[in-house]
Amino acid sequence: MTNTLIQRGARAAALLVLLGAAMGASSAFAQNKPNCGLGNGKKATGEPIAIGAVVGKTGPDDFSASAASAAAYFRCVNDNGGINGRPVNYIVADDQWNPETASQVAAKLVRDNKVVAMAGSSSFVECGANAKLYAQEDVMVIAGTGVPRECFFSKNYAPVNTGPRVSATLVGAYAATAYKAKKMVCVIPNIPSLGNWACEGAKGWGKAHGVEVETLAIDPGSADATSVMLQAASKKPEVILLNVPKGIMVPMLAAAEQQGLNKKIHFVSTTPGYNSDVPKAIGPAWNNAFDLHLEFLPVESAGPDNSNWKAVMNAYADKDAPRDSFAQGGYLAARIVTDTLLKLDPKKLDRASVSAALRKVSGFKSDMLCKPFYVGNGARHNGNSSGPIAQVSGNGFKQIAACETAQEPELDDIRADEKKLGL
Amino acid sequence: MLELLPFLISGLGVGSVYALSGVGLVVLYRASGVLNFAFGALGALGAYVAWTVLDAGLPMWAAWLASVATAMGLSLLYGWFIAPLLAERDSTIRSIGTLGLALVLMGFTEWYWGSSPRRLILPTDAIGIDLADVRLTGTRIISLVVALAMMAAIALLLARTRIGLKMRALANDRGLSAVLGVYVLRVDTVAWLLSGAFAGVSGLLLANIVRLQATLLTFLVIPAFAAAILGRLHSLPATVVAGLVIGVLEATAILLPGFAPFRTAVPFLLALLAIILFPNTQRLA
Repeated sequence: MTNTLIQRGARAAALLVLLGAAMGASSAFAQNKPNCGLGNGKKATGEPIAIGAVVGKTGPDDFSASAASAAAYFRCVNDNGGINGRPVNYIVADDQWNPETASQVAAKLVRDNKVVAMAGSSSFVECGANAKLYAQEDVMVIAGTGVPRECFFSKNYAPVNTGPRVSATLVGAYAATAYKAKKMVCVIPNIPSLGNWACEGAKGWGKAHGVEVETLAIDPGSADATSVMLQAASKKPEVILLNVPKGIMVPMLAAAEQQGLNKKIHFVSTTPGYNSDVPKAIGPAWNNAFDLHLEFLPVESAGPDNSNWKAVMNAYADKDAPRDSFAQGGYLAARIVTDTLLKLDPKKLDRASVSAALRKVSGFKSDMLCKPFYVGNGARHNGNSSGPIAQVSGNGFKQIAACETAQEPELDDIRADEKKLGL
Repeated sequence: MLELLPFLISGLGVGSVYALSGVGLVVLYRASGVLNFAFGALGALGAYVAWTVLDAGLPMWAAWLASVATAMGLSLLYGWFIAPLLAERDSTIRSIGTLGLALVLMGFTEWYWGSSPRRLILPTDAIGIDLADVRLTGTRIISLVVALAMMAAIALLLARTRIGLKMRALANDRGLSAVLGVYVLRVDTVAWLLSGAFAGVSGLLLANIVRLQATLLTFLVIPAFAAAILGRLHSLPATVVAGLVIGVLEATAILLPGFAPFRTAVPFLLALLAIILFPNTQRLA
């Protein structure tokens, strides 16, 4: 009798453990289940809606992470009712970092594939090459990442990220306050449409706040990073602001460390330094000694939209697809376009109505952004001009300052547009 | 002048490795008449292998050994299996053949190790001498010493040893040397091995002083070519001096307003100048 009771008790306990485990698993599953579009779990089967993207995949660097992330989100949307029943046909083209190829692939997307909009683009050359085409054909581009000046000075191009100029302004302003700096050197590659422009924002901010910011334009192909660091240090700055790609940044920090400059000068960087490989590559000398501006909230942040982005990536993207700030931008661009399309009548959906609706985007909220994003009807767009500051910590990063919004003369027209929109 | 001094000292570090690479190119050219376009790519692959060895926690000597052995092995394989197929063609075709090797090695290195930023740190970076607001690190001092020592060793090998004599004979007339009983393949093997050793040492030093990036290291063969051309593809001391001058001029060019953002052009300009000044070298090359 006693044995039977013990057996029954053991069975009941085992059942409870199993039940608990199952409930735990289902709760974990619920947490990790992505939420996209209509979120009804029904596969979209109607007439596809073409949306395009141009990325610089093959060339000096791989700029395709934004579109890979946007593609994952659109796949998730298609599995969850699509755009009111119509699936998204997301077409991504590689411009190979060649302006001529960029024009060809964009013309094909716009004229042959009849895209209603572009989402998640990320290219170094396409803004300059295609801005006119997008304006002529009235195609709105919600880009995942914009880098050169043209990406922020086109009527139909609205990047979700801040861009290198605003990023430099914000990290420069932070460094001036945190380190009481009165003199800074902003290092920038001598690349057309990036060159001095990307350091001028920090300079403009500095002028208004009594901080001298000097620009040092460098040859990105030069093998000699030591001379660049010595040249920057010879200006006797308290802060050196690196506005360069990570491939150039790592040897510059190595040269600075070899010259012992990390012990005399503070080093800060724009967003390109925010890459999971960077802390390990630069080594322990930069632990708690290298600050960066982030265009979005940290990729590790626990906000619901950031968690949803990661869930979408886990469920719909390749295992090896980057989970970085480029990918965050692509996801946000895809979400903005999806949310806009869902408000339109699926039967009357065409390029003109989509472009008009995208221009009306205002107050788009996400915990990945410091402030609500907007597009507006302005002559140019820089809808994200905020961001927090992070610092290298061990083999990762930690956020050290909350969101700030950039203030510099070139953003005056943007602020005027925001005022008109009541933002 | 005082303003120039830090850049002059900094340029000596890179310049010494350009000099070392230039000597490696001249050695092979003098023995086999081949200008090795794959020199930089061999060094790059060696440097990535060295990084992998260091990343696995192995000591510095193992990294040096791995880098040199990799570059020597690959250079030897090319010298054994591919170079003999082109042995009867003229010097230009034999040189262009190495461009194929360079592209294959560069492609493999980029594919295998990817584009993630890496840094090759050597323990000798932590020591150094402070001179005129610049630190001459232990690795840079090693570069200078190694460049001079290897140049002296090669000069002795070519001038005083039997294999050196055979290498010089082969450079003059391969056909006639073979008829006179010189084992062409054996001498070629030594030349390719030596060139590989130079590539391995230069690659590791450049990956530390400059940066660990396959494309950049592959194309750093250009300043080495400029040094070799300034040495008229023959003189080892002139090649070493030219390498040092190129490094120093490239570093000091940063002080020239307007030219600073284009200072990578320095080796090209000097090579062009050398071709104009030494037209015989143009014919040789």
